[in-house]
Amino acid sequence: MASLRDIRKRIRSVKSTQKITKAMKMVSAAKLRRAQNAIVAARPYARALDQMIADLVSRSEGISHPLLSSRPVRRVEILAITSDRGLAGGFNANVIRRVARFAYERDRSTSLRLTTVGRKGLDAFRRRHLEIRKDHAGFFNRLSYESARELAEELTVEFLEDRVDQVLLAYNEFVSAITQRVVLTPLLPFERPEAEGQAAGLRSLIDFEYEPSKQAVLDRLVPQAVATRVYRALLESVASEHGARMSAMENATNNAEDAISRLTLNYNRTRQAAITKELMEIVSGAEALK
Amino acid sequence: MAKLNVDIVTPERRLISTHADEVVAPAAEGLYGVRPGHSPFLSTLSPGPLTVRDGTNTQAWFVAGGFVEVQNDTVLVLADHAEPAASIDLESATAALREAEQRLAALGPGDPKTPAETARVQRERARVAAARAGGR
Repeated sequence: MASLRDIRKRIRSVKSTQKITKAMKMVSAAKLRRAQNAIVAARPYARALDQMIADLVSRSEGISHPLLSSRPVRRVEILAITSDRGLAGGFNANVIRRVARFAYERDRSTSLRLTTVGRKGLDAFRRRHLEIRKDHAGFFNRLSYESARELAEELTVEFLEDRVDQVLLAYNEFVSAITQRVVLTPLLPFERPEAEGQAAGLRSLIDFEYEPSKQAVLDRLVPQAVATRVYRALLESVASEHGARMSAMENATNNAEDAISRLTLNYNRTRQAAITKELMEIVSGAEALK
Repeated sequence: MAKLNVDIVTPERRLISTHADEVVAPAAEGLYGVRPGHSPFLSTLSPGPLTVRDGTNTQAWFVAGGFVEVQNDTVLVLADHAEPAASIDLESATAALREAEQRLAALGPGDPKTPAETARVQRERARVAAARAGGR
């Protein structure tokens, strides 16, 4: 049986762990709020851009863009977004598992390459011997629209220069602070956005004047929309990461609380037992003297 | 008289949402003025000054590129990057232009980076011009 001193030491150690998890939870909560605001702030642009493309495409017969056209898929590239840090529950493991499952279940004649953002994913995919085309280390230290655009452009070039037939995104979609959903969704060929609302039909009838030309505008719009899509995925991933870490740390704090109360009970019992034993010894010693 | 609804939005956030009498944007083929009652119009943006005039009050911005859409007296500016002209530091903007020019000059003929660096020089030049005009 553990001695009183040992138990006291355990309690102290669990308590200090609890302090750390509590602090991490608070930090994550603050970062989560910021990340959520960034998602909300990025929405109007993405929506307006999608609307423009939808209108433009529906207003014009036979207009197209190379990024919108699909071809038979033989080579797939996945942009896997994980985080640089762990201690976030299943946050990274879920993405890794999803991508690994895709890798095992795919048709053996299709090739698969990965582009990774986040150290956790990179390490895991290396261990699984999946082909990694490029890793973007330290991406989250300087996450901005500009960096997302560069990343998107790089993938776009791979697609346009016919080195891959399809690009997928794997990341944690932010549902709420406690819920994240792993998604594996096509990025390229870019899915044509649908026009929204009942005004869509009407809007498509309006005749616009274009500068320099309809095609030139579309040529600029589509890559922009791809970049916006990547940017959104990154923002969602960041928010999900903090959400996941927050709930993981919340759980850890609660578990520490339970452990402390169990240990305290144990401690008191052991102490009581020692006192009882001592009393018994005294009593029986006195008894023997009679 | 009717007013224009003006929205300037960047990928990272919505910058302003306001009313105005006139908007002048750096469209694909030069500065393009819009007043209420304008016909539908959609253009790409070149790097340059964007001015929003409401009465006697004029706001000047620098946009690095993007799109402008005019429809139903609504001007929607989707800018890759936008900043108020008054907040640009002329000195550092000039320094950035110099640096971009030097980088372009250092490239050999037919270098694949030439178009990107040329675009950069144009952008920095437009930024300096916007700072000069709007900073006052």
